[in-house]
Amino acid sequence: MKKVVEAAEGEVFDIELEADILEANRKLAEKNSELLRKYDVRAIDVMGATGSGKTSLIEKMVQTLIGKYRIAAFKGDLTTTIDAERIERHGAEAVPITTGKECHLDANLVGKALERINLNEIDLLFIENVGNLICPAEFPLGSDWRIVVVSVTEGPYMVIKHPFIFMDADVVVINKMDLADAMEVDVKKLEEDVKRVNPKAAVAVTNCRSGDGVKKVIDALRL
Amino acid sequence: MTTQIVENVLREAKEHNAKEVSDVHLVIGELTFLGLEQVRFSYKVITEGTMMENSKLFIEMKDGVVKCGSCGYEGSFNYEDDPMYHVPIPTLLCPKCSGTVDIIGGRECLIKSIKLVVDNGR
Repeated sequence: MKKVVEAAEGEVFDIELEADILEANRKLAEKNSELLRKYDVRAIDVMGATGSGKTSLIEKMVQTLIGKYRIAAFKGDLTTTIDAERIERHGAEAVPITTGKECHLDANLVGKALERINLNEIDLLFIENVGNLICPAEFPLGSDWRIVVVSVTEGPYMVIKHPFIFMDADVVVINKMDLADAMEVDVKKLEEDVKRVNPKAAVAVTNCRSGDGVKKVIDALRL
Repeated sequence: MTTQIVENVLREAKEHNAKEVSDVHLVIGELTFLGLEQVRFSYKVITEGTMMENSKLFIEMKDGVVKCGSCGYEGSFNYEDDPMYHVPIPTLLCPKCSGTVDIIGGRECLIKSIKLVVDNGR
């Protein structure tokens, strides 16, 4: 809605624009969400830094859930399709979304990817975001849940350094617990930090290589 | 983001046959990830050579707003001060009752208004 408030002698216009740049993405996200609901597909947005274990988590979750659900995965990456192939090995359909240079997925890209899959043939959709703890939080994609993966190898302060992305998380996965001692990272402290920033988020401590703790993530989503 | 802001303003300016954009007012929410310094810097770079080149950029910050599910508190959210980290850490715990709160505002990136100089040929 726009309205010309003032036109002083036909020379200066004051225009109330009220145009929200982020609103455009939020609207597209809402559209994605409606489309997914229509086909009864539940979607999980997985965010986290590069190398935190997002793909490993999805691989392990797909391994466990593939008997129960028909699964597809969107895999956001700058250029390669390596990770999409990792996920496909476990029997899920994987669609790579290469962003080129963008540091995050947005609802528009996800909407385009949704056109590429047959939503009648899936029940569960993983959307792996680009490795980044900042920008993805700004762009909801239309998923039902958002998971943030943080690993102990990123150091002991990741949660309090990036509090805002954790505020949007339904589940926080603290990964690579087997390396906590070597990294001298106190996992309990990381858990406390998450609870401080976002008391509603479920926390799961995992080793996504071996699969330890992944069941807790699945339980938290009631899958 | 700044590119989108500038594109939007230029489109609007064109529609009104403006010859110059003099003022741009933005509202940016506390919970967005936009850095004011970066926005100002990129604004300057992107508007160069356009009719926005000499425009004044006004940015109003808007606090994050939360609502408590337990006690109904509505207002700015709490920062926990931890002397160990030197920075206050935002928390979704209710400042009133320590229940949990939902974010209901502070995610804006709004072009609130613009001021155009119009050459109407008179």
